Amino acid sequence: MSCVVVLDNGGGYIKAGIGGDRDPSVVVPNCIGRPSASSKKWLIADQLQSLEDPTSVALRRPFDRGYLTNPDLQKDIWDRLLRSLHSPTSSSSLLLVEPLFNLPSAQRAVDELVFEDFGFRSLFVADSPSLVHLYEASRRPEGLVSRARCSLVVDCGFSFSHAAPVLQNFTVNYGVKRLDLGGKALTNYLKELVSYRSVNVMDETLIMDDVKEKLCFVSLDVPRDLQIAWKQGKNNKFKCTYVLPDGVTHTKGFVKDWDEAKRYLYSADGSYERGHLDAAEQLEDRKRNRIDLTKNEFNLSNERFLVPEMLFRPADLGMNQAGLAECIVRAVNSCHPNIHPVLYESIILTGGSTLFPQFAERLYNDLRPLVPDHYQVKITKQEDPMLGVWRGGSLLASSPDFESMCVTKAEYEEFGSARCRKRFFH
Amino acid sequence: MDEEAPGSMRRTSSRTRKVASKMAAALASSDNRMQAELARLEALENDNAGIEAVEVNDDDDASLDDEDELDVVIKGDNCVVIADFHNSIAVHLKRQMKNSKRKTRQAKALEARKAPRTFMELLQEANLEALPPHVPSYLRAAVGPPSSTSRRYFCTVCGFTANYTCVRCGVRFCSIHCQVVHNDTRCLKFVA
Repeated sequence: MSCVVVLDNGGGYIKAGIGGDRDPSVVVPNCIGRPSASSKKWLIADQLQSLEDPTSVALRRPFDRGYLTNPDLQKDIWDRLLRSLHSPTSSSSLLLVEPLFNLPSAQRAVDELVFEDFGFRSLFVADSPSLVHLYEASRRPEGLVSRARCSLVVDCGFSFSHAAPVLQNFTVNYGVKRLDLGGKALTNYLKELVSYRSVNVMDETLIMDDVKEKLCFVSLDVPRDLQIAWKQGKNNKFKCTYVLPDGVTHTKGFVKDWDEAKRYLYSADGSYERGHLDAAEQLEDRKRNRIDLTKNEFNLSNERFLVPEMLFRPADLGMNQAGLAECIVRAVNSCHPNIHPVLYESIILTGGSTLFPQFAERLYNDLRPLVPDHYQVKITKQEDPMLGVWRGGSLLASSPDFESMCVTKAEYEEFGSARCRKRFFH
Repeated sequence: MDEEAPGSMRRTSSRTRKVASKMAAALASSDNRMQAELARLEALENDNAGIEAVEVNDDDDASLDDEDELDVVIKGDNCVVIADFHNSIAVHLKRQMKNSKRKTRQAKALEARKAPRTFMELLQEANLEALPPHVPSYLRAAVGPPSSTSRRYFCTVCGFTANYTCVRCGVRFCSIHCQVVHNDTRCLKFVA
């Protein structure tokens, strides 16, 4: 009995597992890291996750700007990953998820890895939007996505964000629009802000990833929130403190006060507003909020929403690119006018960067004024945006005619990489 | 001068590459503000801050030695100069031979092929501009400039809406307090 290995090889995380399962068995960062400059040993992928002390880890990634640039490094990571899957490569097929518009040189390198280094029996290359569409359509057989057989997949990943129309399970490649901002750039932006304003964390990528995931959110009204973040003391609902690991009592960073960090959620209706504090209370407040220099910690306030804000207005960062909402409009406009209303009504959000709280609401607010009045706008969040692509792949791999769509090792050896790639239509 | 030739030849080899390319451009170009902005955007895609600077190049110490010798040559009096000059040429030739033994052109080419390349190099190699205009590609999938050119500015010091611009470097700040902080710490960091 042969099995299919499904590998969603993202720039940030690799999601890997056996086709037909509901969840991937391995989700590991796609990078290697060295704990400190003095040690020589590089830790690979899952070793990084179990690392006790995440301070000053130097990272190396096989991906640069979303595309494979270092196949040797990728080989080391896959090697470890595939061994942990316990599936002999010579008797299994591989379903690999590649980025859209993959470069020919990267495709060649991947084919070499798959067939020559690992010796897989056959290979199928898929792209993420069509798999997301497939998964969502199968989850709701009566829903619009599966009845109209088209959707608009918005994938905010680690390296970039794509808005891609999908029609009859194929990604409409001339309609795809890309925004060169993703989770990596956002983490680096947060690093830059915190390093200038409080503590130097330029070397702490892993820790700042954690900060971003735990504390950042999308603002629904930036000018108002800026005003609130400007206030002092308790009136500032966005202020919260993150404690950096000290290596003695705790080796992981953590949010100092979760209640404090969650306060922004009440702010929408203004019910949490309070009158001004009396003097004693203010003093006590100041004492509590003062940064304790003996502990390594820093405060965040407006950084929490200004960082994800860049996805919606990249121009604020100095990039000459349109924001996510306009990205969607342009992707839809490049398709046939007859399917515009359906596309606007079946927008699917996927990718790790859509996990910011209030992301979908903000996208709706931005998108609504750009879309003609008589069209409905409906944005669906995937329930697990990081794994959505993999689940689609797992579904595809378990379909009966999967084997017939693959390129086999024999075909690769006969025709070479370029000819085999023509089969996948991208 | 003759003896400067080997020195200058060396200088073009490995050392210029050590400065980040965008940073070098920022220092050289007249439009410094724009270049600094580009350098900053480029930095957002880095994996680590400044790991590139740590990487060692084994040609480095050799070139430093050469410069020391040149110094000696220039300082000494005439006859010593000639003796030293011959000496330095001999040393240089020896070193070149050693170098050539260590790395033939083929070996270098092999190394270049194996070494990980940046995305920009791969993109250039793919030559996507040559495709006919109706073929979708990486370049054509980019979303393009925003329809409204208005840009919000945030204070680089505190993050609040910034109404003022630094006259020296063009960075934004919101208040006199932030201006003082800016002048003390970050002003002209890129363009000095």
